[in-house]
Order: sequence, then structure tokens, then C-alpha cells
Amino acid sequence: MKTELNLKDADGFYERLLDAHAGFTPEQSQLMNARLILLLANQLGDDEVLAECIEAARQFAAI
Amino acid sequence: MADGYEFAQGTGYVLPEYQFVPPPELTSNARRHYPIVICGGGLTGLTMACSLARLGIDAVLLDEDNTVGVKGASSRGICYTQRSLEIFERLGIYERIAAKGIQWSVGRTFAGSSEVYSFDLRTQSHYNLSRQPPFINIQQFYIEAYLVDRIRELGHVDLRWSSRVTAFEQRDDAAVLTVSTPQGDYRLEAAHVIDATGSHSPFRVWTGASVTAKKGDDRWCIADVRFSKHPPVERHTWIEAPFNDNRAVWQHLMGDNVWRIDYQMAPDSDPQQNSREDVVRERLARQFGADCEVEIVWVGPYAYKSECIDRMRHGRVFFMGDAAKVVSPFGARGGNTGVADAENLAWKLAAVIQGRAAESILGSYHDERHEASRQNVLVTNRTARFLRPAPGIEKLFRDAAIGLAKQYVFARQFVNTGRMAIANPYSASRVCGEGGGLPVQNVSFQWANGSEGAVSDLLRWADGRLLLLLFGSVDRTSRRYVRALTEAAPVVAVQVLGSNEAADAIEHVRDPRGHLKGACHVFGHSWALLRPDAYVAATGEAVDAALVESVSRSLGALEIESSGVET
Repeated sequence: MKTELNLKDADGFYERLLDAHAGFTPEQSQLMNARLILLLANQLGDDEVLAECIEAARQFAAI
Repeated sequence: MADGYEFAQGTGYVLPEYQFVPPPELTSNARRHYPIVICGGGLTGLTMACSLARLGIDAVLLDEDNTVGVKGASSRGICYTQRSLEIFERLGIYERIAAKGIQWSVGRTFAGSSEVYSFDLRTQSHYNLSRQPPFINIQQFYIEAYLVDRIRELGHVDLRWSSRVTAFEQRDDAAVLTVSTPQGDYRLEAAHVIDATGSHSPFRVWTGASVTAKKGDDRWCIADVRFSKHPPVERHTWIEAPFNDNRAVWQHLMGDNVWRIDYQMAPDSDPQQNSREDVVRERLARQFGADCEVEIVWVGPYAYKSECIDRMRHGRVFFMGDAAKVVSPFGARGGNTGVADAENLAWKLAAVIQGRAAESILGSYHDERHEASRQNVLVTNRTARFLRPAPGIEKLFRDAAIGLAKQYVFARQFVNTGRMAIANPYSASRVCGEGGGLPVQNVSFQWANGSEGAVSDLLRWADGRLLLLLFGSVDRTSRRYVRALTEAAPVVAVQVLGSNEAADAIEHVRDPRGHLKGACHVFGHSWALLRPDAYVAATGEAVDAALVESVSRSLGALEIESSGVET
């Protein structure tokens, strides 16, 4: 799993991500996020990396 | 030295007052015509005036007030970037700014009770090469007062205080301005008008200028204070401060040991309530402890908006500073970009007036500074959105970003407490050629006699003309070509050599560490054409017709007598 910055334009990506949710209800937003995760996972295509990412994201569940 | 505006213990600031002097228009009836009239004596207008004065250009500056700063609000911008400091160095006021201001390079960002990340600008290589530090914090009115003093030394600019522009019309042959003063009204004519009157510019209406605007519900309240207990000289930002109802807080030091503590308030909250002294004191006590003695210098509640004028020029009127664009304060992109607006237009106007450039160079002011304005509006809007996320998904993503950033380096890039102002690159300018449109840092080199010089010295020497830097050896044919070019066009040429290379009978300097070459963004055997505002106009390899074409283009398609410069 990469933990160093790998995006060329993090601010631009973040803006696009928020813009994509514009006008959505909370349920629609959740569904969009879910679709996005599945799409990105398919881009990655590496089971080991995906498992690590899932574990890294889970750690924060209590926060 | 005018020291009338030094900080006075216990009573806040005492600002200088400038006397109204009746202009010739009030003593005789003749209507006068001026090449340049600058409206507004704030940071941008005064930088414009000082830049013109340094180039020997006459202008009139009209300011509605009789002092610097804003009456009753003697504190505004505080953070000045390396680029602005380089510009102030060329104008001759940097030493005073450095002596009064505070240098900082360490920034820390917190969320809740823990640090998310920190940075030290001294370790970031691109800041290291300039003669000026990454940032200096100083109250804006000090810089304005230093500019006034400097303009008075240089002459050329008639500073007219207590003079408000009340009407404006644009005719074919001139712009006509009506000016109200304590001793009556008068009119004057101008070939070029600089609107530096700020965010409430009346010229937007007078010229019919359209503006793209956006306003949110974010509210802040500044407390400028002095303490009995001193925090570290670092920029601290809290995205969620436990001592401010989990809203953002900014903490910064400036001149006279005054700290700026900027508190984010509840959305749409009442500025009167936010700025009441007992409320401010309670807020400060929550952050610094009830035992910390605090002297309040100034309190300023504010909301912010973003605005960008769609065209930076309307006929004879050039918009600059806040008159052209308004941004949130995050990232110091307000005042610093006003300074850059002025630096950009001053040399172009001077060159046109002195016959060194064609009129069409003035169109490039819009190309270059509108691109910069749009970029600065975009970047500051992103920060504002991070600091005041819409409830729901935007807040959710922020929580995720902050949580990840505490553990993983990559996520720090999503934590946006302000992207500090830079010298904006120009990618679509009519006067920039191949490799052009990039800023040049004030790096050091060695003069032919071994003493140290800097880019600013070379630009001062070029005195409003273009500066051609030739890296490496120059053969005889090229030398003749360059000599003919410098005789036919407003260009001065300097050869830039490594430690041991032999000089080729042109003015030369030595660049043993390659800093000058790096600052010009060139590699190998090449030339770079620098503008008086320390931007690259163009770069190239061969000394041939393409060089002449670049010189012509960067001066607004100036016709260059080509008899001496054909290949």
C-alpha cells in the first residue's frame, strides 16, 4: 500500500470529488461513494493492496 | 525616516497623516492632462506609484484618505511572500520591512488536541536560493508608509491625499476624472487610469465591468494582541480547535510583538456580538489561559467573498488589486497578488510611454494577471471549502482526510489550511514566447570582479529594458548579432559563465553553482530573455532571427530596425 502522496493534483481531485456529490441526498451520496470504491478497486486490481487498504481504513472506525 | 507610525504602547497604532496640498487645478482653472492617474493609495496603488517613480515615469495618485491603513482598522494583510519581498527589494524598501517584520518558516496544523503535520520552509529547496526569506509578517500599513516615503524620495509621482474620485467618463481622447477635496472639486484628464480603489471600486459600475462573484456564510473575527506569555514564532493553524468550539483558529506573529489570532465563528453569526470586547477576552482566555495578560491592539470581525472581474482592462482603465479580484485571506493571496498586478503593469506602461514598447503590450496585462486572478480565486475557494465544509458529505470527507493525515503522509495533501501565494506562471500571454511566462527568483551570482550580485541588481542595471542572458560561450558572429540587437532594441546583454569559462568580450557574470541558470528555467547552452518584472519572456538556443522575434514579441510586436541584425 502506498502511503506517500501519489496524486499530481490532490486539491483538484478533492474538489472534483466534492463537486460530484452536489445535489445528492445522503443516501445517493453513500451509493455514489460505494460505486466509486468498486470502480477504483477494479483499477487497482491488486488483492493484497486492496486488503491492506481495507484494513487501514477500518482502523479509524472508532474515531 | 518617518517614525510617526511606530507602535505606541497601550494606545494602539498612531498612523502618519499626510497633508492635503491644493493641486494646480484648484489654483488655476486650466484642465490638465496626465499620462497616468492612479486611484487608490493602498498597497497596490502605492506599489504601482513607486514602480513607476523608479522607472522615471510621472503620475498622479489620488487617495480619499490622508493616511495609510484604513481609518479605525489599522491592520489588514500581514503575510508577505518571497516574491513580494523581492519586488519591494527592487523598489528600495526591503531593508525597512526586514527590520520591522518577523521572519517565519515553521508551520504547524492541528485538529483536536493533536498535530496533523508540520513543515519548515527553510528545508524546501525552492525557497532557499533567493536573497529574500520565504515570508515576512508585518502590518500592511507599515509597508504602505515605507512606499510613501520612498515615492517622496524618488519624485515623479504627485501624491494627492484627501482626494476622492466622484465621477468618471471615458472619451476618445482621454479619461476625465472628477475629484472631490476639502477645498473643492476639480477635473483632470488622464491617458491611462489605474483603478486600485479596492473591493468597493466605483469604476466597476462606471465602466460597466462584469464580475464573477461568490459569497458564503463563513464568519471570522480577528484579535490582534500582545501577551505577557509568548507563543513560538511559528504559524499555527487549527482546523478544529477544542478551545474554539471545534472551529478553526489561526495564530501568527507580526511586527511590534503583536500576534494575530484569527477565530472562525459560527456560520452567519453576528459580527457585533463576535467582536464585543468581553466576548473577545473570553475567547482569548479559553485559548491562552485566564492568567495570561492580554493587551488587545485591534479587533476585526469579517466575512469574505470571492470576486473576479471578467476583463482587467476597460478602455483606459486598468483594474488591479482588490478592485480586480477579491479572495478569502487564506494563503496570503490578496495583497501579494495586488503587488504582482502593479509590478506587471508598471514596466509595460513605462515602456510604452518611453517608446520602448508597442501599445499592444498593454493587452498582455489582462492575459497574464487575469489568469493569475482566476487561479488565485480557484485556490482560495478550495481552502474556504475545506475550512467551512457544507454539512453532510463535505464534512464527512474532511473528517476522513484529517483522520488519515495523522497517520499517512499522502493524506496531508488533502488538509487545506491555505495554499501560500506564489508568483503565478503565465501560460497564455500574447507577449511570452517559448519557455516564457515563468517567474525568476532573486538568486545570487558573481560579478566579473568576484563580488556577489543578485538578479535584482541586473534588473536595476537594465533599468526598464529587457535583459538578455547568454549562457556559455558566444562566438564572434553571435556577438556581432547581439551587439546590433542591443543597439536596435531596448535590450541589454550579459554573458553568464561557469567558474573557469573564458569571457567573450561582452559584459559577463559568473554563475559557478548554476543558480542563475536554474532560476531562468533553462538548461545547456542557451539564452533567456528576462523582463523588468523578473519573468522570463522567452528562451532559446541559437542567437538568430528567433531571438529578434522574441524581443519584438515581448515588447508588444515592437518593430525592430533589422538592418544590423539580419543573419
